[in-house]
Amino acid sequence: MATTAAMTTTVDDSARDRAQAAAERAAIDASCRGPVLFFAASAIVWLLVGSLLALLASVKLHTPYLLTASPELTFGRVRMAHLQAMGYGWLSLATVAALLWQMCRLSRAELVYPKLLILAGVLWNIGQFLAVVGIILGDATSVEWLEAPAYAPPFFIAAVGIISAWTVAVFRRRREPHVYVTQWYILGAIFWFPWLYLVAQFMIFWSTAVGVVQPIVNWWFGHNVIGLWFTPVAVGTAYYLIPKIIGRPIHSYYLSIIGFWSLALFYSWAGMHHLIGGPIPGWLSSASTVGSMMMLIPVLAVAINHHMTMRGHFHRLRYSPALRFTVFGAIAYTLVSVQGSFEALKDFSEVTHFTHYTVAHAHLGVYGFVTMIMFGLFYYMVPRLTGREWASSTLIRVHFWCAAVGIAIYFAGLSIGGWWQGRMLNNPNVPFAHIVNYTLPYLFSRSIAGTLMTAGHLAFTVLFVMNVAGWGQQRAGGPTFFVEPPSASLSGPQRIGPRDL
Amino acid sequence: MDRGMVIFLGALFTFSSSWLGLIVFPFQQLGHEQPYQKSDSDDPYPQPLQGIAVAGKRVYQANGCMYCHSQQVRSQRFGNWWDDNGEERTGADIKRSWGLRRTVSRDYLYDNPTMLGTMRTGPDLANIGVRNPSAMWHHTHLLNPRSANPWSIMPSFPYLYKREKIVGDRSEKALLLGREWTVHPGYRWRPTPQQWDELLRERGATILRQVLASAPTETFDLTTADGQKRLLDFWLTTPEEDYQIVPTADGEALVAYLLALRKAEVPLPEAKE
Ligand code: HEC
Repeated sequence: MATTAAMTTTVDDSARDRAQAAAERAAIDASCRGPVLFFAASAIVWLLVGSLLALLASVKLHTPYLLTASPELTFGRVRMAHLQAMGYGWLSLATVAALLWQMCRLSRAELVYPKLLILAGVLWNIGQFLAVVGIILGDATSVEWLEAPAYAPPFFIAAVGIISAWTVAVFRRRREPHVYVTQWYILGAIFWFPWLYLVAQFMIFWSTAVGVVQPIVNWWFGHNVIGLWFTPVAVGTAYYLIPKIIGRPIHSYYLSIIGFWSLALFYSWAGMHHLIGGPIPGWLSSASTVGSMMMLIPVLAVAINHHMTMRGHFHRLRYSPALRFTVFGAIAYTLVSVQGSFEALKDFSEVTHFTHYTVAHAHLGVYGFVTMIMFGLFYYMVPRLTGREWASSTLIRVHFWCAAVGIAIYFAGLSIGGWWQGRMLNNPNVPFAHIVNYTLPYLFSRSIAGTLMTAGHLAFTVLFVMNVAGWGQQRAGGPTFFVEPPSASLSGPQRIGPRDL
Repeated sequence: MDRGMVIFLGALFTFSSSWLGLIVFPFQQLGHEQPYQKSDSDDPYPQPLQGIAVAGKRVYQANGCMYCHSQQVRSQRFGNWWDDNGEERTGADIKRSWGLRRTVSRDYLYDNPTMLGTMRTGPDLANIGVRNPSAMWHHTHLLNPRSANPWSIMPSFPYLYKREKIVGDRSEKALLLGREWTVHPGYRWRPTPQQWDELLRERGATILRQVLASAPTETFDLTTADGQKRLLDFWLTTPEEDYQIVPTADGEALVAYLLALRKAEVPLPEAKE
């Protein structure tokens, strides 16, 4: 097996080859531009909607009188709408933008019939709109991660069908013989997600899985939608971006393959740890505890691989926005996954289950890891699609620090508050009133964190709108850096050679 | 073999393993559970929801109660703490009187959806119908939880109630709450000092009469600020004369559902520990 040919081959660097490769890349990017930017733009719209809903829910939890007379904006509905907006709006649509573009780039194949993909995007957005508005108006299902009322899923299913088919079509038309690890992850994700979603919808809403089989299916889905849909694409994106930006091949091909297959095997077994202590057969949660512990294998494989690739290049985090977001996400991936493995242990879960600790963990995953990597990808990808650089490095800096400090406060506050909440819930001598009062300052810290994160998202939106509207410089003189790097050595991508995708 | 095929088959195999193991197998195993009937004269347990409780479940779903309330009682052996003598103890759920025993899969036989919940911002509700069978308490609590527990962070649900002018007699369903909770349903009302001065000027005698009717042993010196404030505090706890708060159909259904939540009550052989 050729070692990461795409990234390493130092083929002759003749100007003609490079010009040809650049022309090929430009053609591929041009074919993706419409659909990918459409998915990216609608992802950002949902990111904003989700952030506002999040902020409202967060404040309501420590200030219960805020808008309390409004049925539409009662905590429960806002909380569910937030999850839908973020999970299926922002995260999923960003994931689709990421996987389409990377699949085209890595396969060296143009996107055919891009209009149908736009149709998929429109369908998805209709479903998404129906889901959020339906929940707000009182049609929610109260099945976590699947709150969307029954009229939304058909749109998602149609859209996912088109997206999966197109991704496979691009892959089958590939001109690049080597299949890079990112493509493995993408192919896995576009296969797993539709299956997961269909099984969950079917068993929970359309057939008669009642009783405790429902939460079993529910958490098999809820856990896997993160592990087998967002995670593979985000990890794959880090595998793509880090070598691209620092201009150096991935450390170990074999580690990346071990990482992929062990993720595929173990992650899907891990979901039942959400039900530890619940009324399900004991062997189910034990099986998932084992699966969760085994997850250390893929996580450490990816962590070592990314770290070794970055070694000696960490100073570049000072310059490259895309790299900084991506590496932040990659580090958060290691942290959140190791934490998750231990949370699946019974002794640990006894304390943290049913508390805000779990909420902190979930956000370290979907925000610290997935969202940050998606931001990184957008900073890298959008200029290549629009032909314009980012208009302001200051705004990027604002975005980064708001997001990074925001998630840090979020995680720290709810982890500490949640841990002690759990300890006190386990002690029947502690009155419930005391627990509620105890958590208030931590819930308040979450609102501060949420305000910061939302401010960051606004900066990001302004940048994106300016870029698409043609406000930035033409892309000629290299990317927008936080500060100019000392030498031209950072322009890695151009240096790898014509086969660089 | 084509690389795409390898990935496809591998992804199929790994994923199917968990689908078979975690979904299909438990589905088979649990699919045949039957209600429990100790003797022929006993009613089988559990019973499906009946009457308006079914609609109440919809209200519970629509308003996301599950995101703050679980519905499962965990085992005697679950979770630990140390008592005053430094001894390690376990099983807080039952000691908090959230149920007489742990809940098991059979308790959920007819639940659809099964709202086990993942968060305990509020207490567990698996057994709330047994723990607190008073419909009136639930109504006053839902209208504004702070009327029952001042420290509560549960949202008010005033939209499950309506405030209406009393025609004829006060309705039997009217909530028994002082005017501080009913003037602005969902919020806590208190007149500003100016409003209170005005109220005293306009209807001082009536207000005093109303208060003395419910607290005949009290005396109020209305020439002092302190006496006026005490009168206000008392007056706020008396019901409004012309208006009443009654549950809407949704409100009644929701409380019927809460009262039907009686898991962890009937003993089940498999729940013994
Ligand atoms: C923001 C979180 C939150 C939401 C949403 C919420 N609750 Fe609560 N609930 C609480 C808290 C905290 C308490 C404890 C304080 C109190 O009694 O109000 C509580 C208490 C209760 C109690 C009393 C339990 C007992 O042991 O006395 C009931 C019944 C209840 N809630 C029902 C509901 C219903 C029904 C809904 C949905 C319409 C709901 N709750 C939504 C947080 C919440």
